[in-house]
Amino acid sequence: MKKSVYKSAMSHVKTSEDFNEVTYQKLLSEMDNSKNTNINNPKERVNMQTAKKRTVKGWTIGIAACAVLAVGTFTMNQSTLFNTQSPSAVNTTKPPVTGKAAVNIEGVISEVSADGKSFKVGDLWVTVTDATELGIKGPTAAEPSEELLQKEFKVGNIVSGYTSQDVSTGKVTADNIYNNMAPQKDTSGNAATTGKAAVNIEGVISEVSADGKSFKVGDLWVTVTDATKLGIKGPTAAEPSEELLQKEFKVGNIVSGYTSQDVSTGKVTADNIYNNMAPQKDAQ
Amino acid sequence: MYTSFDINESVRRALDLYSQSMIKIAFTYLKNVADAEEVTQEVFLTYLQKRPAFENNEHEKAWLIRTTINKSKNMLKTGWFKSRNPVPEDLSYLPKEENEVLQAVLALDKKYRIPIHLHYYEGYSIQEIAEIMQAKPATVGTWLARGRLLLKEKIGGLEDEEISL
Repeated sequence: MKKSVYKSAMSHVKTSEDFNEVTYQKLLSEMDNSKNTNINNPKERVNMQTAKKRTVKGWTIGIAACAVLAVGTFTMNQSTLFNTQSPSAVNTTKPPVTGKAAVNIEGVISEVSADGKSFKVGDLWVTVTDATELGIKGPTAAEPSEELLQKEFKVGNIVSGYTSQDVSTGKVTADNIYNNMAPQKDTSGNAATTGKAAVNIEGVISEVSADGKSFKVGDLWVTVTDATKLGIKGPTAAEPSEELLQKEFKVGNIVSGYTSQDVSTGKVTADNIYNNMAPQKDAQ
Repeated sequence: MYTSFDINESVRRALDLYSQSMIKIAFTYLKNVADAEEVTQEVFLTYLQKRPAFENNEHEKAWLIRTTINKSKNMLKTGWFKSRNPVPEDLSYLPKEENEVLQAVLALDKKYRIPIHLHYYEGYSIQEIAEIMQAKPATVGTWLARGRLLLKEKIGGLEDEEISL
């Protein structure tokens, strides 16, 4: 490369003619602002920044705590409701909570970009950059476990975090990702938890037979007959609501119940169906 | 203790002396004059806020260049910068040969183009570039050599041109 040509080319690159003057005026106004805020304390600007940082930090920790509680509540509810595992691909997508300072990102990943750095939660595409903080920071925060904060974003993972960008654009960059958890899975490959007396049926319906009386949960086809009890019986059990126990079995519905038959055949008749719920949907 | 007069004078002097160099370095990094000017303004704001003490003019210039590189890197990392799709800087007003050379340098990976710029435009030696970039001189030498090789493949170059150590 000819040194002189490069130097000449770079010298000819046009920059703003009044750059120096504009910058100087800007700097003077900055100085004036910092003087006006506190004449006695020349370090006011620095202090103000620190205070701002503290406020942001406070908000971050607060939001982080809320997110952890939300995820915790979600997980606990799942286990209480179904007694054991959460379904493998529950669509819990919620509309992001809007706020002026930051907007929560939480829900289940429905799509992941080819480079693995962007994912879709509800209608929102979230990009994770080098600037995105991972995990929960703070003096009392525990180190994030690999279970709660996986390195890779995968479809079905439950994520939580926040962004300070405008979510109405449909595409934001995450400021912080607190959690990126895989949904709980049955390591044996069966959809239902096994037991000797009865075997739980729980999960998300992936297929429904033409007559609507059989559905598939994981690898297990479950048939509902007239003998199948519906709802939860017992002296203290409440009447099942239509929301929790829908009449029709649909793909995507979350079902729970049990069978006394051998699930290894891949096809059983349900003894009892406790719940047949539609997944939560984005209200917006 | 600096008086505001001293600060004003030192800032004005630094602006006059170094602003163009800083804009060009940021431009080499960001490939966009408007972004480069924004970064340069930020550097001067930091200069004003931190009021660092310098041993001499060279030390001051090196600090400003180092800060410009750091702030340019930070800008590259920001989400909004990555997510946007800017129109490439129009350099068509440059003579053909200059345009070709500049485009070739800008097309290099940034680890090559910054040392190339510091050497060919600012005239820094490998040792000086290594100090500014906080890298080993041997590494800088490699970056320069590879950068030159890539440029030679694209636009040709001076075989016997030497790089001062």
